Amino acid sequence: MILLDISKLYDFSFFFNQQVILDLISGLFCTLSIAFFGIIIGIIIGIILAIGKLVGNKFVRGVVTVYINFVRGTPLLLQLYMLYYVPAFIWHEMSGASLNWSNYIVGMLAVGLNSAAYVGEIFRAGINSVDKGQFEAASSLGFDYKTSLKLIIMPQAIKNILPALGNEFIALTKETAIISVIGARDLMFYSKQATAITYNPFTPLFMAGILYFIVVYSLTKGVSIIERKFAND
Amino acid sequence: MIKVENLTKQFKKNVVLKNISLSIEQNEVIVVIGPSGGGKSTFLRCLNSLEKPTFGKIYFNDLDINDKNNDINKIREKISMVFQQFNLFPHKTALENIILAPIKLNIMNIEEATKRGIELLDLVGLSDKANEYPKNLSGGQKQRVAIARSLAMQPDVILFDEPTSALDPEMIKEVLDVMKGLVGKVTMIVVTHEMNFAKEVGTRLLFLDSGEVIEDSKPLAFFNDPQTDRAKSFLDKIL
Repeated sequence: MILLDISKLYDFSFFFNQQVILDLISGLFCTLSIAFFGIIIGIIIGIILAIGKLVGNKFVRGVVTVYINFVRGTPLLLQLYMLYYVPAFIWHEMSGASLNWSNYIVGMLAVGLNSAAYVGEIFRAGINSVDKGQFEAASSLGFDYKTSLKLIIMPQAIKNILPALGNEFIALTKETAIISVIGARDLMFYSKQATAITYNPFTPLFMAGILYFIVVYSLTKGVSIIERKFAND
Repeated sequence: MIKVENLTKQFKKNVVLKNISLSIEQNEVIVVIGPSGGGKSTFLRCLNSLEKPTFGKIYFNDLDINDKNNDINKIREKISMVFQQFNLFPHKTALENIILAPIKLNIMNIEEATKRGIELLDLVGLSDKANEYPKNLSGGQKQRVAIARSLAMQPDVILFDEPTSALDPEMIKEVLDVMKGLVGKVTMIVVTHEMNFAKEVGTRLLFLDSGEVIEDSKPLAFFNDPQTDRAKSFLDKIL
């Protein structure tokens, strides 16, 4: 009596299924683009958050603090669902029409807005890590806050900011996998689909894993090259 | 030139400066001495608005420096500061440290600023260090570059905040010598523990204790014949 047909565990037949391979590749591009735009959104909004926290009035600082604490204190999955369901719900309640927001866009926003909180803290901490005396010296020469930041503080802060920022982007790239739960067609989504089509969980997941690894490992290498370059200056 | 009216500074409940009023004339060399925690540095930092007074006003050439309508950055161009910890910009060379502000604040073009920067380095005896980064300079050299940097803006006043306190003993003299060379060319306000410098170079001495100006006199008179008990006990401890 055969309880387990071992041969099924390494059934690589779907490698020859052209559709599955094409799907995984298109999923990979989706993952890469979500990560890329997520990073862009993260940087832009993160910098705005950092500036808000550093120079904003009490109200702005309060809003930024609440936002950062909320994002860092709740799961990304929850934030993703909130962004996916809540605006659509409100839109439907108010206008009666349904909101056709693509899950690709929702996923990108969720990842980007989540990352922004971390990027904001990275920038703020990096700027605060520069000795207060540097600001004072710049001010005493007649530089305003903005110019001091640009000419004196940021060139020094960037050494502390870059490594942390690189790590954040690596984490973000991996976390994009979560957007498959709202149906965005990324690498994770297609690997699950291939599993369902072929009844074989092993090869699609393993192949997706290899693709994720190649992307993340290249990013890690790229980040450490940039880091070394800045550390030498 | 500088007029201080009823200056009071509190950090939370802690009163650091109590109702100080005085005026400072051009080319005075004012040495500020007194025990640690007496408010010397805070007093100095109020003069260029690095600290904002809790009460009272400070005028520089009749401009209220804490009035929002007066551009504090323009005022600070004329009130330089030299810090205890030098605060040179570590990512700039000695020369770049000196010429950054005059260029970026559109006071001079690059050629003028560089020419002046080299002259200033010469003045502080560091012509050969123009292209060195601060991390390759000794403490005394850093402080001399910092003095050159403060001079680059052609200020009316230089505030010295314990300029030799972070230096090894053998480097103190080179910095004090540079400072002596500035006497008569610029108004100087010097917070210091160097009593010989105070005696030799100061034209006026402020003794600050517990946030009050206890004595405001000629340095020699102060050291030879202090008027108050607090000054006497301070001098007993240090001399």
